[in-house]
Amino acid sequence: MRRLAILIVLFGGMQLVLPLGTQGQGSQTLLSFGFLILGAYTVGEIAAGIGLPKIVGYLLSGILFGPHLLGAVTEAGAARLSPISELAVAIIAFLAGAELRWAEVRERGGVLGKIMTAELVASFVAIAGFVYLARGWIPPAADIPAIEALAFAMLFASVAIVHSPAVTMALLTETGAKGPVARTTLGVVLLADVAVVLLFSAVLTFARMLAPPPGPVVGPSLLLVLWEIGGALVIGAAMGAAVAAYLRFVGKEMVLFGVLAAFFGLEVAKLAHVELLLMLLMAGFVAENISEHGEKLRHAMERSAAPIFVVFFALSGAKIELAEVGPLLPLVIPIAVMRGLAMWGGVKAGARWAGMQADDSRYVWMGLVSQAGVAIGLAAILAEAYPGRGPYLAGMLLALIAVNETVGPILFRRALDRSGEAVGSSPAGEVVPGGEPQKASP
Amino acid sequence: MTTGLVLLVIVAGAYLAAHSASEWLATRFLIVSGAEYLLLGVLLGPEVSGVIQASTVDGFAPFLTLAFGWVGALVGAQFHFRDLVRIPGEHFRIAWTESALVLGIATGITAALGVWWLGITWREMAVPAVAVGAITVSSAPTGIAVVSRRLSARGFLVRQLQITPAIDALVAIVAFGLVLAVAHEPPGTALRPPTPTEWAVITLAIGVASGVLFHLFVAGERKVDRLFVALSGALILSSGAAAYLRLSPLLPALLMGFVLVNTSPARDELREVLSRVERPLYFVLLIFAGAALRVEWSGWLLVASAFVLMRILVKVGSAAAAGRVHLALPALGIRWGWGLVGHGGLAVAIALNYRLFDSGELAGLVFAAAILSVLVTDVLSGWVVRGLVVSAPEPAAKTLAQEKK
Repeated sequence: MRRLAILIVLFGGMQLVLPLGTQGQGSQTLLSFGFLILGAYTVGEIAAGIGLPKIVGYLLSGILFGPHLLGAVTEAGAARLSPISELAVAIIAFLAGAELRWAEVRERGGVLGKIMTAELVASFVAIAGFVYLARGWIPPAADIPAIEALAFAMLFASVAIVHSPAVTMALLTETGAKGPVARTTLGVVLLADVAVVLLFSAVLTFARMLAPPPGPVVGPSLLLVLWEIGGALVIGAAMGAAVAAYLRFVGKEMVLFGVLAAFFGLEVAKLAHVELLLMLLMAGFVAENISEHGEKLRHAMERSAAPIFVVFFALSGAKIELAEVGPLLPLVIPIAVMRGLAMWGGVKAGARWAGMQADDSRYVWMGLVSQAGVAIGLAAILAEAYPGRGPYLAGMLLALIAVNETVGPILFRRALDRSGEAVGSSPAGEVVPGGEPQKASP
Repeated sequence: MTTGLVLLVIVAGAYLAAHSASEWLATRFLIVSGAEYLLLGVLLGPEVSGVIQASTVDGFAPFLTLAFGWVGALVGAQFHFRDLVRIPGEHFRIAWTESALVLGIATGITAALGVWWLGITWREMAVPAVAVGAITVSSAPTGIAVVSRRLSARGFLVRQLQITPAIDALVAIVAFGLVLAVAHEPPGTALRPPTPTEWAVITLAIGVASGVLFHLFVAGERKVDRLFVALSGALILSSGAAAYLRLSPLLPALLMGFVLVNTSPARDELREVLSRVERPLYFVLLIFAGAALRVEWSGWLLVASAFVLMRILVKVGSAAAAGRVHLALPALGIRWGWGLVGHGGLAVAIALNYRLFDSGELAGLVFAAAILSVLVTDVLSGWVVRGLVVSAPEPAAKTLAQEKK
């Protein structure tokens, strides 16, 4: 409460300062950025105090202090801060890739692949079916032919099944969890990240055949998507090798080098039109696995990760428009529930198919619910591809993402607590003071 | 390739090369400086290769503002009362006298030259003159740090050379911060523009309030990662507020660092947090300072060289005078001021802050002079300090023995 009171004083102070200043040199952006960090830190601590993940607090602070509520961060300010958000995504992706071990991929790749396949298929079918059957309640789909409704339902589902590597990494960093639930969730999320981009492109192509959009065709072609993925893997691997060479021959200034590498990756991905997340995942994976010193870089980047997560999720929250999300909630909440149920069923079926122990897979579905950046990007492509009905569907998807972005971290935190993998928690989910981190599963 | 990518590749490559070279030079030849990054910035900037354009420098202005704040907080964090009271007062008296003399003389000379030679009014010369005074006062502590570490040197002279740059930094930041506040132009939006005194109070209030509020904000927090998030937020906020009001972020951040280090039980952790990103921000600051150099007048090199010469004379002379006034010349030696001639990151920060504040020709000249001074003096500061320490009138070992008695 003390921090909240200080935050209120700071907010008042900012209101006093604003009429005295002048724009220029990005100083107002800096002012609001500093306030957003302190606000997110405070709300994150409050969230942790009531047993919620900190990133939920960061998101809520973004909503609260963002342009749509209190306005401490203006829309223009949030736009000026977007490079920081992009850099955060790049660092998170690199860290996520560095978490994967080649031995683990070789040993558990089949298991992860089966769980992912079952979960994605179950979620896709359930959401597409639900949206198709409930099309009477969705204004732009209410009076269209059944075949077009099916195309839109499939497009909607192909975005709705996307997970969030950023939320997964943030929770794993926050809790220090390294057990079977944590490793399986991370593996499935990272694999699915590749699969959903391919699936979305295939569905978009198929949807264009069933329901051709008016005017010129906008959106990625299948060839472009293949390049986005294949190119990302190749360039990412090359970048990972370069990082490994740096670690071997120079090995200094790790924090600075990590940030520069992420920034470099960001620029290269834009230039080569490849999938940023995948490219940096691959770079992190290769650097960590071919270098003996990869851990040094990972630790240096992890040490700098806390402010990155604060910034990334606070800015994500600032982009959520409550006025637009609110009216869509009655439509979206049943879809979110259906999605959760399908994930639970899909993971259960996949684990059985892979012969995984029930105890290890029981909580994995809870880690898959979160959604963030990738899903938002695909929703934007959908809106662009179908200028007529697309924006409404994209609005629905953004509302669904907002729900999953808020509920998902809470569920994943609960899963890690219940499985006893979060540092300081017992398997029953009770907090153990001074608990030690769990050992990584093989 | 995009400009951003080219820039990144060149900066990263040059940084690594400069970093490796500077480490080798420091180990082998006692050449310690950040001048190589400054030179790199000059080479990449619009005056030479044009890789970093003027618009890029403007785009990085928020980072530079943050770097100013970080530099200020680092200076403020040096002044922990409990540590300071253990140091004999004589050192402080000498340091204060030296700083005051340098600030007064350099400001006076600059103002007089501006008025009589360029025909500028005393009022208009106030800010440039004090900016030059502040830049002249600041001294680089890196030379003495490396020499004292390498020679394990201790003694009256070494301690004096460690304390004086800190006092110089304090005097420079306070003088520069206050003159920017006092000479503030009225904002177009406010109902009643604040008076110069009120602007000065606002500058001080941002620093003190940030320090007090942040102290309360993180009370009891000892984890470095959490402190890092909160301190970054607080420094970004206070620096942003100062820059938004067209004030120098250096002074509020100095006050914030001072308040925190004297009130927080986690002062060591706070210092660790501040030093964690010191190097990257310092690196960015030097590169962009070099890139911000504009040569708008053909005679700039002459004036800048005259400034370098004037600074050396004023520094050495004022230090000798301070030593004489406080009867410390037998222990310090008449030449001890040479140990303060090295010009470092703070001078660059003040000069760049002033350049961003004022885009006029005179500000450009002051900035160019500061850059040249850093390039010339910082490189040799390690050697100069070593020569002083080795030939000190009171040998380090003897002083140490006397101190133990």
